[in-house]
Amino acid sequence: MTDGAVYVLETRGLSRAFGGFFAVNGVNFRLARNSMHAVIGPNGAGKTTLFNLLTKFLPPSAGTILHDGEDVTRLSMPAMAKRSVVRSFQISAVFAGLTVRENIELALLREHGLAWNLLGRIARHRGVLERADALLERFGLSEYAGTMAGSLSYGRKRVLELATTLALEPSVLLLDEPMAGLGHEDIGRVTQLIREAGKGRTVLLVEHNMNVVAELADTITVMVRGEVLAQGSYAEVSSRADVMAAYTGQTHE
Amino acid sequence: MTTIFGVPSAVLYGQLLLGLINGAFYAMLSLGLAVIFGMMNIVNFAHGAQYMMGAMGAWLLMNYLGIGYWWALILAPLIVGAISIVIEVLLLRRLYKLDHLYGMLLTFGLALMVQGAFSNWFGSSGQPYSIPQALMGGRNLGFMFLPNYRAWVIAASVVICLGTWYVIERTKLGAYLRAATENPMLVQAFGIRVPRMITLTYGAGVGLAALAGVLAAPVYQVSPLMGADLLIVVFAVVVIGGMGSIMGAIVTGFLVGVIEGLTKAFYPEASTTVVFAVMAVVLLIRPAGLFGSKLEAAQGQPQSSLSATAPSTLTQTLIFLALACCLAAAPLVVYPGFMMKAMIFALFACAFNLVAGYGRLVSFGHSMFLGSAGYVCGHAAKIWGLPPEFAILAGTATAAMLGFVTGWLAIRRSGIYFAMVTLAFAQMVYFVALQARFTGGEDGLQAVPRGMLFGLIDLSLPANLYGFVLVIFLGGFFLIMRLVGSPFGRVLKAISDHDARAQSLGFETARYKLVAFVLSAALAGLAGSTKAIVSQLASLTDVHWSMSGEVLLMTFLGGVGTLYGPLVGAFIVVAMQNYLAAFGQWVTVIHGLIFVLCVLAFRRGIVGELIEFWHRLHRTPPAKPAVLHNVAVAPQE
Ligand SMILES: Nc1ncnc2c1ncn2[C@@H]1O[C@H](COP(=O)(O)OP(=O)(O)OP(=O)(O)O)[C@@H](O)[C@H]1O
Ligand SMILES: [Mg+2]
Repeated sequence: MTDGAVYVLETRGLSRAFGGFFAVNGVNFRLARNSMHAVIGPNGAGKTTLFNLLTKFLPPSAGTILHDGEDVTRLSMPAMAKRSVVRSFQISAVFAGLTVRENIELALLREHGLAWNLLGRIARHRGVLERADALLERFGLSEYAGTMAGSLSYGRKRVLELATTLALEPSVLLLDEPMAGLGHEDIGRVTQLIREAGKGRTVLLVEHNMNVVAELADTITVMVRGEVLAQGSYAEVSSRADVMAAYTGQTHE
Repeated sequence: MTTIFGVPSAVLYGQLLLGLINGAFYAMLSLGLAVIFGMMNIVNFAHGAQYMMGAMGAWLLMNYLGIGYWWALILAPLIVGAISIVIEVLLLRRLYKLDHLYGMLLTFGLALMVQGAFSNWFGSSGQPYSIPQALMGGRNLGFMFLPNYRAWVIAASVVICLGTWYVIERTKLGAYLRAATENPMLVQAFGIRVPRMITLTYGAGVGLAALAGVLAAPVYQVSPLMGADLLIVVFAVVVIGGMGSIMGAIVTGFLVGVIEGLTKAFYPEASTTVVFAVMAVVLLIRPAGLFGSKLEAAQGQPQSSLSATAPSTLTQTLIFLALACCLAAAPLVVYPGFMMKAMIFALFACAFNLVAGYGRLVSFGHSMFLGSAGYVCGHAAKIWGLPPEFAILAGTATAAMLGFVTGWLAIRRSGIYFAMVTLAFAQMVYFVALQARFTGGEDGLQAVPRGMLFGLIDLSLPANLYGFVLVIFLGGFFLIMRLVGSPFGRVLKAISDHDARAQSLGFETARYKLVAFVLSAALAGLAGSTKAIVSQLASLTDVHWSMSGEVLLMTFLGGVGTLYGPLVGAFIVVAMQNYLAAFGQWVTVIHGLIFVLCVLAFRRGIVGELIEFWHRLHRTPPAKPAVLHNVAVAPQE
């Protein structure tokens, strides 16, 4: 990796069409190292699609993606994760049939060289157990360690997803609407968790909750109809008339 | 006599004509499947049985009521369609919110019931149905002789196919249908009764199959199983064409028929397998199918994973030891032959469960591993004279290799497509086994020697043989137990819960699935090899699709995704076969009924329900059904 690159992630003319419809259209986007960057925009603006492209969830129709200055346009999703670019999903994604602890342990397997262990037992590996304990503790999930993830409340699922994602110690963290569906208290807690997680790594988040965005983000990108409309600090962006127009007409949340 | 590339032109044209006729039936059936699937997300496994019902209906009308062909052409589809409407209302309707696989299992059960019942009533041999008076004879086209009836079948099927296409793509009714497929809520809001529309669509799709059946009656023999093998080819057609498009289904149907016809003219040995080879090539270069626009997104709703908190290692070991003791002592009270058979099938079912239960890759083709391993093991022991341990090793390795090749192709698709692809490959293996010289064709490989294990243990002694089977079973079971509890097993389960999420955590999910599939194939092959040594026979029954159905039955009855479920299921099914043998084909009907009941009433299977019950008693939160979340699955291209 060329650590010299200022931008961790960079896209050039990135586009993605569904049928004839461009969900992401010629986006040039740059994510600065160690920044806390938010992407906002009305429903259907293409935020999730941009995430899907950046994490190789979808192949782009056109354009290139650079990570640490290297072209990663053709890589696979697991390959991106191995480059330490990890995302969360807009619709909470936990492994419903595993317990909370097992969910977290899963994320630790690769790093401990256990991912291809066919006959061993995780319980024999203290390192994994201890790290899982620490993560459970840190995210306030210890109490639920033995609960099936599928039967957690929605807010807890989101916290678990965040915990699993952070268990990988990613250098770039992409969060798709981490606050969606959360109650007031949970939002406060999760905001705090994200802020902590942001120390020493780059975070890109999509979020509709403007208070959260204002509180967390140092840079904001506004997307509308698949294109980048504006970019800057919260103050800069929120003072622009076109951004307000794009938003007020169309947001439903 | 003119020849084309060494084939007499008359033969070539004759085979092409036959290919077109077959293609006409493929097209009509895959069309019905596509319409039904598009509307109700159910792969109608009963489609072949319903086609048969059309043909049998025509035959019954003729023989019992004296009603002739032309009336049968109208009446049989109406009757069969009406029956299917009742089935939709009573049964299928309950499944729409579930994973597509349940629809497939239920209709598979229905097909078994119908085919079994008809076989009982009318015998499984074919009945002739004569060509109607008006279509007798034929005309000479100069380059070939064209029987009138065949010309009529082709013309009629083209009209039927294009008519269906027109209705769906060009009329208002069709527009509603398509809209309801995309967004049922919206169409409902416009005041259209979607449930009724679904019912009628199912009726129409099935009626189409029955109509094809009537058309087919004079061409082929009318028999209870006429639709079973045909349906598997139609599944391959569906995989080749992609289910997305009506025109695609039609074109692919005729195309496959013609390819088959050409193969029959130029290289007859391959004519039964060529469809599956084409399917493999299509999977390789265009996994979504020739006319499919994109790969299926989510595989329906995830179903309850049944993995309640796994018992501690100690408990697990204790249960395993208890099981070992029971099985070792069993011959004192139970007939050892039964025990050995049950253990072999239990190993087979547990191997199947490794992918179906823990990886949620429900294969409909596991018979190919059992059967091919049996043949190779039998051949190695009998012809090459290898000792049993090496013969078994050869069989197991063959199954593993077959698993690698088929798995590598099949995991490109998921859910129902995975099921169809594996079924198709298994059918290909079946045809190879039927034709290859070394398998002994219909007779199978008989008098396979048991031999001396490691040159020391004489397996022809009953006690030795029993111990040998016991050790193999326990070894295989122990291995599966360890696999399931290992980090690998954990990853596999996570992948089946949420593939995309597992990928985003850095797991190359396709590789895990492939390894699981190969392991499962190898263990199934171990069971098949052992079976060949124990029964001293390797035969076509073990490669036939009904064997894949049986292993599905064992696993789902006992409890898919539970460690001991397949074991329990296997013992029950083998016991049923033993004690109900006198009932002949009715056993098939009972199997079908069990499928239907499993899907409708106890989806967790016996062991699954017991675990659930246990948890309720102890008020521990059981494995909650993975709530019906939409899995965000990459719409890959
Ligand atoms: N797989 C897909 N197939 C077809 N169209 C899609 C697909 N994914 C997204 N789209 C379309 O692309 C557009 C952008 O969707 P996207 O999910 O990226 O928006 P978003 O900005 O994340 O919206 P939201 O705030 O609602 O999450 C939408 O119009 C959507 O319908
Ligand atoms: Mg979104």
